[in-house]
Amino acid sequence: MVVLTGGSEVVALEVRLLDSRVLREVKELVRPHSPQHCYQCAKCTSACTATKVIPDYKPHLIVALTRLGLIKNLLDSGIIWACTECWKCSEYCPQDVAPVEVVIALKNLSIAMGYKPPEDLKMMAKNVVELGYISPPIEVLSKEFEMYGRNALALPELVKPYTHEGTINNLKKLLGGVYE
Amino acid sequence: MSKFLLFLGCTIPTKQYSYEISVRNVLPKLGVELVDFAEAGCCGFPLKGLNRRAWVYMSARILSIASKKGLPILALCNGCDTSLRKIKDILKHDEALRKEIADLLSNEGIKLDVSAEVYHTLEILHDFVGVEKIKSMVRRSLKGIRIASYPGCHMIRPSDIPHPEDPAEPRKYDAVLNALGAEVGYYPDRGGCCGATMLPYSARHALLIAASKIKTFKEYGFDAVSTSCPYCMEMIDGKQDAARTEVGDESISIPVFYLTQLVGLAIGLEPKELGLNLNISPVEEVLEKLGVSLYE
Repeated sequence: MVVLTGGSEVVALEVRLLDSRVLREVKELVRPHSPQHCYQCAKCTSACTATKVIPDYKPHLIVALTRLGLIKNLLDSGIIWACTECWKCSEYCPQDVAPVEVVIALKNLSIAMGYKPPEDLKMMAKNVVELGYISPPIEVLSKEFEMYGRNALALPELVKPYTHEGTINNLKKLLGGVYE
Repeated sequence: MSKFLLFLGCTIPTKQYSYEISVRNVLPKLGVELVDFAEAGCCGFPLKGLNRRAWVYMSARILSIASKKGLPILALCNGCDTSLRKIKDILKHDEALRKEIADLLSNEGIKLDVSAEVYHTLEILHDFVGVEKIKSMVRRSLKGIRIASYPGCHMIRPSDIPHPEDPAEPRKYDAVLNALGAEVGYYPDRGGCCGATMLPYSARHALLIAASKIKTFKEYGFDAVSTSCPYCMEMIDGKQDAARTEVGDESISIPVFYLTQLVGLAIGLEPKELGLNLNISPVEEVLEKLGVSLYE
C-alpha cells in the first residue's frame, strides 16, 4: 500500500501495521463526531492554520492514516503537536469528522503510549498541579522600563486556587504522568 | 443581574495584567459588580491534548463551584469562555464521563453541577451594559481612528455551542467600537487564529502566523487593532517585535488594545488606570491622536 503525504513525498506503509484498535479508541474519544465518514475532500486542510506555515501538516491525511490505524510514523514525527486547536477544520468539514478532535485524541493516545509532548506543555501541566496556573506570575517590563508584578500594580495577591487535598490528588492522577 | 464572578484564567493573572487592570477599573464604572473568584484556577483548555479528561474535570470543577455560589461567571479569556461552554455540552451528551467527573469532584467535596451561566467580556459590554449606555458615557471619542476588531478564534468556534458572538454574523465587537466613536472595517480572515497555541511546538512558526495577521491589518489601512483574548494579545502585541524580526518586515508595527482599554479611554479614564503602559505595541500613536500622554 502506498500513501501520499507531505506534498510529493511518497511513503510506503506496511499493511501489517494496520491496527483497528486505533480507530476504535479515537472514535471513543471524539464522540459524537465521526472520523469514519471522512471522504478526503481536504476542505479541512484548505482551512488549517497550521498548514499555512507548516505545509507537511495536513489534517485530512492525519484522519486517513488514523482510520487505517497507521499512526506510528505520525506519532514518531510529533507533528500532531503543530495543531493550534483553532477548530477551523471542524467548521469546514461537510461530514462532521472534526479533524481537530481526532488530533486531540491522537495527542492523548500518544501520551498514554509513552510519547513525550513538547517541553513547554510538560511545564504547563506541572505548574497547573503545583500552582493552579499554567505559569507562575511574572514581572513585566513597562514602557518606562520599570518592572511590574501584581503587587506593584495594586492587583490582589494571587493565591493557590486549590486548598483541598482531593483536588491536588485528582490533578496528579490525571496529569502527573505527563511530567514526572 | 449585574453581579459576576471574575474568572481570570491563567494568562491574565500571571502576565497579561493590563486586561485585569482595565476590567477591574472599567466594568464597575458601567454598573457591573465584580466578585473575586480566587478558587477557580486554570480551566484546563491548554491541557486537553495531554489529557482530555483533565480538561473536562478542571472546567467542570470551576462551573460546579460557581453553581454553588449561585452567581454567573464572567470569563475574560476566550479559551476559558469556550472551555466552560464546551464542557457543558460534552457532559450533557456523555453519561459515562459525567459519572467519572462526578466521582473525581466528590473526592474534594464538590457536587457536579455545570448549570452556572457563562459570559464573556464582550457580552457584558454589548448585551448587559449595552451600546446606548456606553455611547452616553463617552467623554473622549475615538472618532477618526480606524480599528480592526480581532475577537479571536474561540469567540466564534466551535460553532456547535453558544458563543458570545453569533458565529455566522459576528457584529457585537464592531458595534461596541462604533459606540466609542471609532471606525471599523473589513479585513480577510477576521476569525483567524493568532498562532499562540503553536508556541510550545514551534515558536518560529507561531510567529509567522502572528506576522501574517499583523501584515493584513496594515494592508487594510487600520490605525490600530483591538482584541479581547489574552492569547491574541500575547501574540499580536507582546510578540509584535519578535514577529517583525522573524520575517524581516519593518512595516509590521501597529498599536494593539484590549477592548476594555479602549472603552476605558473613551469614557475618560487615564492610561495607567487601564494598564496601557504595559502594552508592548506602539499604543502612543493612538494616544497622541486623542491628546493623551502615557507618561504624565
